[in-house]
Amino acid sequence: MALANLKSVAIYILRGLTLLLAVSLLSFVLASVSPISPETRYRLSHPGVSDENVEKMREYWGLDEPPAARYLGWLGGILRGEWGTSTSYRQPVLDVIGVRFKASLALMMAAWVLSGVFGFSAGCFMAVFRDRWPDRIVRRVCLFMCSIPTFWIGLVFLAVFAAALGWFPFGLAAPPGVPPEAVTLGQRIHHLILPALTLSFLSFANLALHTREKLADVYAGDYVLFARARGEGEVRILFRHGIRNAMIPAVVMQFGAFAELFGGSVFAETIFSYPGLGAAAAAAGTGASDIPLFLGIVMFSSCFVFIGNLTANILTQAIDPRTREGAAA
Amino acid sequence: MKRLNRRAAAAVGSAVMLVLVLAVYIGGAMIPDAALQADFSRRGLAPSAAHLFGTDFLGRDMFARTVKGLSLSLAVGAAASGMSAVIALVIGVAAAMGRNAVDHAANWFVDLFMSVPHTVLIILISIALARGAAGMMVGVALTHWTGLARVIRGEVLQIRAQQYITASRGFGKGPLWIARRHILPHVAPQFLIGLVLLFPHAIMHESGLTFLGFGLPPEQPAIGIILSESMKYISSGMVWLAVFPGLSLAALVLLIDRLGNTARRLFEPREAQL
Amino acid sequence: MRKILFFALAAVLAASLLVGCAPEGAPDSAQDGAADRAFDSAPGGTPAVTAKEEVVIGFPGIPASFDPLVTSGHGSYVPLLYSTLVALDADVNVVPDLAESYAISEDARTYTFAIRQDAKFSDGEAVKASDVVFSYRTIMDSATEIDLSAVESVTETGNVVEIRLKHPQSTFILAVAGIGIVPERLYGEGFGLAPVGSGPFKLVQYDVDQQMILEANEHYYNEAPRIRRAVFINMSSEDQQLIAAKSGQVDITLTSAPIAAANTVDGYNLLVEKTVDNMGIVMPVIPAGGGTSSLGNPMGNDVTCDIAIRKAIAYAIDRQQLCDEALNGYGTPAYSENDGMPWWNPESVIETDVDYAARLLEESGWLDADGDGIREKGGLKASMPVYYFAGDSARQAVAMSAANQVREKIGVELIVEGTGENDIMALMVAQPIILAWGSANPLTSYRLYHSSSIGKDDWYDPESFGSPTVDGYLDAALNARSLEEAIPQWQKAQWDGTTGTSMRGECPYIFLVNKDHLYFRRNGLNTGRQMIHAHGASWTLVANLKEWYWES
Repeated sequence: MALANLKSVAIYILRGLTLLLAVSLLSFVLASVSPISPETRYRLSHPGVSDENVEKMREYWGLDEPPAARYLGWLGGILRGEWGTSTSYRQPVLDVIGVRFKASLALMMAAWVLSGVFGFSAGCFMAVFRDRWPDRIVRRVCLFMCSIPTFWIGLVFLAVFAAALGWFPFGLAAPPGVPPEAVTLGQRIHHLILPALTLSFLSFANLALHTREKLADVYAGDYVLFARARGEGEVRILFRHGIRNAMIPAVVMQFGAFAELFGGSVFAETIFSYPGLGAAAAAAGTGASDIPLFLGIVMFSSCFVFIGNLTANILTQAIDPRTREGAAA
Repeated sequence: MKRLNRRAAAAVGSAVMLVLVLAVYIGGAMIPDAALQADFSRRGLAPSAAHLFGTDFLGRDMFARTVKGLSLSLAVGAAASGMSAVIALVIGVAAAMGRNAVDHAANWFVDLFMSVPHTVLIILISIALARGAAGMMVGVALTHWTGLARVIRGEVLQIRAQQYITASRGFGKGPLWIARRHILPHVAPQFLIGLVLLFPHAIMHESGLTFLGFGLPPEQPAIGIILSESMKYISSGMVWLAVFPGLSLAALVLLIDRLGNTARRLFEPREAQL
Repeated sequence: MRKILFFALAAVLAASLLVGCAPEGAPDSAQDGAADRAFDSAPGGTPAVTAKEEVVIGFPGIPASFDPLVTSGHGSYVPLLYSTLVALDADVNVVPDLAESYAISEDARTYTFAIRQDAKFSDGEAVKASDVVFSYRTIMDSATEIDLSAVESVTETGNVVEIRLKHPQSTFILAVAGIGIVPERLYGEGFGLAPVGSGPFKLVQYDVDQQMILEANEHYYNEAPRIRRAVFINMSSEDQQLIAAKSGQVDITLTSAPIAAANTVDGYNLLVEKTVDNMGIVMPVIPAGGGTSSLGNPMGNDVTCDIAIRKAIAYAIDRQQLCDEALNGYGTPAYSENDGMPWWNPESVIETDVDYAARLLEESGWLDADGDGIREKGGLKASMPVYYFAGDSARQAVAMSAANQVREKIGVELIVEGTGENDIMALMVAQPIILAWGSANPLTSYRLYHSSSIGKDDWYDPESFGSPTVDGYLDAALNARSLEEAIPQWQKAQWDGTTGTSMRGECPYIFLVNKDHLYFRRNGLNTGRQMIHAHGASWTLVANLKEWYWES
C-alpha cells in the first residue's frame, strides 16, 4: 500500500476516535436526560427500601455531583478499563460484555459468513440469468426478503423449525444441564443455526441485489463483449471477469454492515434467548434500565462498527487509490 | 413508444399502490374501538369468515387489530420519515452549498450517526425520552437521514455546477437565494422519493422496537405489540396470531418500497432499464 | 448443468465455512446434536427415563448474583443455598433452623438466638455465631434492599446471638427468616458468584442468564434432600416453557392460564398451586390537587376519590366470573392483600351485590342523565383508565374482564391501558392501576395503608390512603410483642366492624382475584406440601425443593 494510503488510513482512525468521543458524550447526555432518575429506578426495583438506604445509594452513585464531573469521571473510567458496575448483573460492565460478546461473536460471524457466501452466490446466479425467469424469481424473493422484519422471520423460524418440526432447539446457546466444557461443537452449531439464519436473512437479500447490480455493470462492459465474441460461456465469463470485479465490493459491503449486524443481533438473540450482547442490550434497556451496562454496550458496539468500517475503508484504499475521502458524492 | 407505455404503466401502478396504502391507512383509522374490545366468549378462534385473521386470547378480532396496527405504523412511519427527510434536506443542502468546513462537519455528523448500531441508538433515545411513541419517532428520525442527506448533497453539487447557478452568483445573488430559487425545486423530486423510500425502514424499525418494548404503548394494537403478544402462543398452535399480522406488515413495507422505486423510475428515465 | 454444479459447490463451500467459523474450544469429534435431550424423546412418546435423584426445572430468571446480603426474602434462592436463623413451614409457622431456639424479651426489643453447634457450610467448615453477626452487620452497613433499619445492635456471646431493636417490630422475626448466613472468612468481592452457604443445596454450576445447577450439600445438618441435583434452566417465555415440556426437556416448568387451558402434555400433569398472589385495582382516595409526591408527581383523582365509586365497583364485580373469563378458571376470588394468611380477617369477604352498588352510586348523585350508558355527576363522567404492565397478559385479561362487567352492570367505565414501568410512577399516584401483592409478611399491609407512607414514590403508596383509626391498629400490630399477639390488630385494620382497609371499609383497593400458580409437572415428581404461594410463581415453587422426590 502506498504511503498516501497509510496516511489516509491514519486520518481515518483519528477521525474515528473523534467520533467515538462524540458517541460517548451523546450517549451519556441521552442517558442523563432520561426523566427516570436513578433514584426512581432504585425504588422501583427495590420495593419497600428505606429512605436511609436510598440516600446511601445516591452517595454511592455520586448523584449530587455536577453532570460534567460525572461525565468526565465516567469517560476516565472507560479509558482506564473501568466501565462501572452493571446494576442488573452486579458485575463489572466489561466482564458482562466480555462473556456476552463471545457468544454474540460466534452468532454474528456465522450469520456474516452465511449471508456473505449465499448472498454473493445468489447475486451471481441472478446476474448469469439476468432478465430471464430465474433472475426475476430470485430477485422478487430478495425484494420480499428485504421487507421482512428480522424479528418476525425469527418468530416464523421458531414456530416452524423448532415448535412444529422439532428440528432445532427452541433457544439458548447450548443444551441445558450440560456444563460448558462438555458442550460439543455439534451442539453449539445446532443451537446457532436458527438465530444465525434469522440474522443473515436481511443482509443476504441486500448483498444479493447489490452483487447482481455490480455484475450487471461488469456484463455491460466492453471486455465482456470481447470475451463473448471469443465464444466464452456465461459461467466462464463469470469466473474470469465477474467474480473478480464483484467480490471486493461485496466484501467491503459486508464489512460496512457491522452496524446492521449488531442491530439485528438484538432481535435474533432476544427471540432465541441466545445469551449474547444483543439480548443483553435489549434487557438492559427495559424494566428499570441498567444504564451503566447499556452505556457500555453503546461504546462497545461503536468500536465494533468502527473496526468494520475501518476494514472496509482499508480494503477500498488497497484496491482503488483514487478513492479519497470527500471525493465521492 | 415502448418507453412511453412503460412510463404509463408505472404511473398507473404507482397510483394503484398509493390508493392501496391510503386504503389501509383510512381503513385503520375508521375501525371503531368496539372492534378491538375484548370479548371473552370468542377467545382463541382460528381464522374464519367471521374473523379473517382469527381472534386472540382476549377474544379480540385480529383482522381489525392488524389493519389498525398497519394504520398506526403508517402514521408513525410518516412522522418519523418526514422528520428524517427534513433533517436530510437541511444537512444535505448545507453540506453542498456551504464552505468546505461545513461540508466536513456535515460529513462528520453523518458518520457520527452511522457509528452506533441504529437499534442501540434508538433504544437509548427512547430511554432518554421515557419510551413511548414520541421517543421512538425521534429515534427513528434521528437515525435514518444519513443516506438521503448524502444523496441530496450529491444532487445539489451537480446542480451547483450548472451554468445558470454560476450566472446567478455572477448577478450577486446569495447562497440562500440560490438555494431557494434554483436548488430546492430541483431536489424536490429526489427529496420526495427519498422520503417515500425512508418509509419502509421507518416502519420496520418502529415495529421491531415496539416488539422489544421500546416503541408504541402496549394498549395500541401496533404490529410490534401484536407480534410480541402472539409469541407466547406459537407452540400452542395459534400460529395465525403471528403469521397474518407479520405477513401484512411485510406486504405493506414491500408495497411502499415498490411505490418509491417506481416513482423514482418515473422521474429518472435513465434508471428505467434496470 | 455446469451452472447447477457451480451453485452446488458454492453451497458446500458455504457450509464448510460455517463450520470453520463456529466457536472454538470443544473437541471436534463426529458428535452431532443428538446428544440434546430434546431429541431423545419423540414428541408425544414416552418421556425419557430420568435419574431419580435429578430434577430439571424450567425457571424464569436465573439470578445474577447469589449474595444473600444483597437480595433477601422467601422469594429467592436464600432457602436453597443458605440457612436462616429461623424458617417458615408450610403453614407459615416460624420454626427453628440455624437457631435451635430463640427468645423475645419482655420489651419486645431484644431477640436472642442459640445457634446450633453441628451446622456446617458446604465446604465443611463450622457455622459460627460470628458468621451470623457478620452477616447482619454487613447488611446494616451497606445500602441494599434488605431493610434492617429497625436494628440497633447485633452481638454474640458464645453460641448466642443477640439482636437489639430500636423499637419493637412484631414482624421482625419474619425478616430474620429471610436473611441467609454467609461465612465471614469467605465473604467479599466475587462471593455472589461463588457462594458458600449452609443450606440444603450448593451451587455447582452457573452460566449467566442460562442455567444454574444445584447439588445437595453433603454437610447439611437436617434431613438430606432426596433430590441430589437440580438443574434450573432459564426460560422466561411461556412459549419456550411449553415447548420444553412437550419435548420432555424439563421435569417441571411454569406455565400460564391460557396455555394450560389450551394444551395438555403427555406424561405431564398440571400442578395448580393456590396462592395469595392477588391482583387488585388500587385507586387514589384523594381528589386531584391533593399535593405532589416526593418526586413531584401530582396526586389524586376526582372520580376515584368518591368512596361510592370505589365501593360500587367492588360490589358489582362477580369475582368468580373474572376467574373463569380471564384466568380460564385458574384462580380464586380475592378480598384482601392477604387472603388465607394467619393475619387475614375473613370478614373482608364481600358478596357480589349489583343492586347495592347501583344504590351507592345513585345516593351519591352518579346518574346516567344523557343515556350514553355511563353515569355522570356534575359534569364528571364515571370513567377512568386502569393501567396494567405491558406484557402481563393475566393482568390485562383481568382488567378487561372487570371493565366489561362494570360497564354493563353499573354504567362505570374502566378504560384498560397498558404502560411501561417508566411511566407508572407518575401515573399511579393519580390513576387506578392493577397491582399484585401477596407476601408471607403482614408488614406489607403496614406499608400499604399506614398514613406515614403517603407521597413516597414506591409501589406501596399510590393511593394516598391514611386514617387515624387504621394507623392506630397498624402501629399496635407492629409494636406487638410477637406475631401472634399482633394478629388481632392486623385483622382490625382490615375491618373493625365500622371501618378498615378492606372493601367493606374504606376500599382503597378493589381486590379481584388470587391467581393460581400453574406448572407442567412430569408424572411421578412429587413437589411436597408447599406453603401457600406468595407473589411470584418461580421461587415459591422451589422453596421446599429439599422435600421433593420421585415417586417409584
